Amino acid sequence: MNAPIKLPSGRIDRRTFLALTGAAAMAGGEAKAQKRGGTLRLSAQSNPSSLDPQTGNSGSDHVILYPLYDSLVEWDYTTLQAKPGLAEKWAYPDPSTLVLTIRDGITFHDGTKLDGAAVRYNLMRAMSHERSNIKSDLGTVAEITASGQTVTLKLKQPDSALPLILSDRAGMMSSPKAMEEHGRDYDRRAVGTGAMKLVSWADNERVVMVKNDSYWKKDRPLQDGMVFQIIPELPTGLRSVTAGQNDLVYYLVPQQKQLIDRARTLGSAVGPSLLCVHAYINYGRAPLDNVKVRQALNWAVDREEFNKATHGGIAETTSTILPKAHWACATEFSSHFSYDPDRARKLLAEAGHPNGLDILGVGYAEQLQVQQQEVLMEQMKRAGFRLRWERYTGPPTPAAFFAEKKGDILLAPWTGRPDPSLTYQLVFGVGSYFNAGRGEGAPGLTEALLATRASDDLAVRKEAFRKLQKIVTDNALHLPLLFRPELTAYSAKVKGYKPNLLGKPKFEDVWLEG
Amino acid sequence: MLANAPRLMLVGRRLVQFVPVIVLATFVVFGLLKLVPGDLAATLAGEYATEERIAQIRESYGLNDPFLVQYGRWLWNAMQLDLSRSFQSNEPVLEQIMHRFPTTMLLVVGALLVSLVVGVPLGILAATNAGSRLDVAVTSLSSFGVALPNFWLAMILVATFSLSWGWFPATGAVRFGTDPAGAIWHAVLPSIALAAGGIAEVVRQLRSALIEILSSQYVRTLYAKGLSPSAILWKHGLKNVAVTLLTVIGLLASRLLGGAVVIEAVFAIPGMGSMVVRAAIVKDFPVVQGVVFTMVILVIAINLVIDLLYTIVDPRVALK
Repeated sequence: MNAPIKLPSGRIDRRTFLALTGAAAMAGGEAKAQKRGGTLRLSAQSNPSSLDPQTGNSGSDHVILYPLYDSLVEWDYTTLQAKPGLAEKWAYPDPSTLVLTIRDGITFHDGTKLDGAAVRYNLMRAMSHERSNIKSDLGTVAEITASGQTVTLKLKQPDSALPLILSDRAGMMSSPKAMEEHGRDYDRRAVGTGAMKLVSWADNERVVMVKNDSYWKKDRPLQDGMVFQIIPELPTGLRSVTAGQNDLVYYLVPQQKQLIDRARTLGSAVGPSLLCVHAYINYGRAPLDNVKVRQALNWAVDREEFNKATHGGIAETTSTILPKAHWACATEFSSHFSYDPDRARKLLAEAGHPNGLDILGVGYAEQLQVQQQEVLMEQMKRAGFRLRWERYTGPPTPAAFFAEKKGDILLAPWTGRPDPSLTYQLVFGVGSYFNAGRGEGAPGLTEALLATRASDDLAVRKEAFRKLQKIVTDNALHLPLLFRPELTAYSAKVKGYKPNLLGKPKFEDVWLEG
Repeated sequence: MLANAPRLMLVGRRLVQFVPVIVLATFVVFGLLKLVPGDLAATLAGEYATEERIAQIRESYGLNDPFLVQYGRWLWNAMQLDLSRSFQSNEPVLEQIMHRFPTTMLLVVGALLVSLVVGVPLGILAATNAGSRLDVAVTSLSSFGVALPNFWLAMILVATFSLSWGWFPATGAVRFGTDPAGAIWHAVLPSIALAAGGIAEVVRQLRSALIEILSSQYVRTLYAKGLSPSAILWKHGLKNVAVTLLTVIGLLASRLLGGAVVIEAVFAIPGMGSMVVRAAIVKDFPVVQGVVFTMVILVIAINLVIDLLYTIVDPRVALK
């Protein structure tokens, strides 16, 4: 029997992460020890917004969507680099054309065949359906043609980000027949090609799945079924695993690590994630349209103390939007901003605010969020910022900032995307929903963004991301704080669980012992 | 016997009162939800929303209409038992309520039973030993029970009986219709946690009512006639506190319905309480309104049943 992987209490860096996922992979990779059968019971914090990948609007949906849907492209757990999925290969015959070759012999859960036409139907729907929430993901696609198992995407401009974009919602393939048949009701149906088939979804209660007997991946799935129990309270979710009613709970908060360690029957896994705790800035209007004020804001925060006070010191503090473990991270900017209230005061004075400045923050009313807001309020006070918070509960919070344009900053996490260009595009791009001001935050930003998608050579892209990050950092377009580690707890019978860098758990290698 | 004229009049009066109560309660809740900050359309549109999509949602859900028009539309539909569809899931609200109602009711009925089974004997014990150490102990315990937060008690119960001893499940619920034994087993700890305040309430009310009766002149006469204390208690004392007990049960049932919200969260029970909390967070008006509508009907029905029981226990009530 494998002992649960116990993790160091310090922060997770790239080396530690690789070692940990390696250890986990060893635990999961013992092919002879892997057992089949049993139902994996999971405690999920959020009810899915939809089981249609194209109409859903919550970052927490993915964990439930992954078993139901395969995506055209997949990613490596440790590096997030693209690897074949439903598309066995892809190529750019020229910079503005992407050709995907779809695997033969795969069927949807309703028995219909996955071919080029089905893929084209999905992509066209994602681009044009009135309820699609991912139109902007495929914004560079001009035309799609399909022939047999081949799909050709003609692009408006070179876009090397597309393969990884197709590993996300846009690449999750649904049965065209099922979508036609169910119309809007497809939100609650889910007919993909995934390892699990949907049995039922009782709203805010549970999502039940059973294994797909004709699954195309060899030796998968390892479980007979999966049940996601929707338990919004994380302590209750953890208790359900301790009591043996569920097998695994994910998206725990760092404060719960000690509790897990004390419960000797539980194992845990901590992995770095792309989930960046930061403050979005509305730089489209005064006072934060002034770069010096934004820089002052960044120098006014003691990230290390913030980490200790709010995340038990186990998170990775940052001055960028990508963690150090990510291939595209320009690490020279990761610690760019340190705590320097005097410098912040000086910058504020230069910006015309010698007597300090009032800032209105928008934030969640949940207890842990309020704690973070209060730490920031206290730290910033020393630099001359008089920060006060307007609090909302749940989804109305981001809507108040991005749609209703309330407040100057919003303290909320960014959950990350498989391709980093999409992260930068969505958070800082002109007209993006997550760019509250909607305008260009700094000269040259749009060009730098385009450059990150112009080549499929990783080294070239990395350099393009370095230039882009420099613009973002120099202009202090947001207030990055730290990356929240992905914390998962599971019972002793759960084997083979591996965290991934995206921070959205997948359970394809998990099996149940006993 | 039940259908005599005074009782029919009582039922009629209650039914007439029902309409303004329901209108007032749902109107106030509807208004409060409108006052909660945040744009519902922007929330529904989600993280990727464009301005056009938000405008489209606002239009399709009728959110551009004046407040009274929106409320009137909901009320008109509700009168025809159409509680509309959830903004979030697009599921019919009535179906969702019917799905969750039995789970919450099992919890409430369970808590009510625990309150009575524990509270009534303790109340009798305290009243028949008024002024003794036993009485002090029972009344102190009941004061403690009133002050005890039920979510705290719930966590203590879970830590002890679920996590340490493994006797009862720590979370979740099973539908009574599917597996009655499993449903009761799951409801034991939540019911006890919910009943803490109820036990205290029953003990205190029963004790004071019984003490008053036992010290009245006609009881003294009964003693003088040579009746045994137990005969006086069971034949005369308890019969006369029945009205008080019914009043406590009525109030308790309404209170337990509200208290279930917290307990459902602690035990992750998919009942009406957790449903309305989630709906309120995301401003899902139809669901909140639907639950309030159901709760008001339920409370009115409970009061009606209690009133009818009054008339059986004490026929003078109906005449009044």
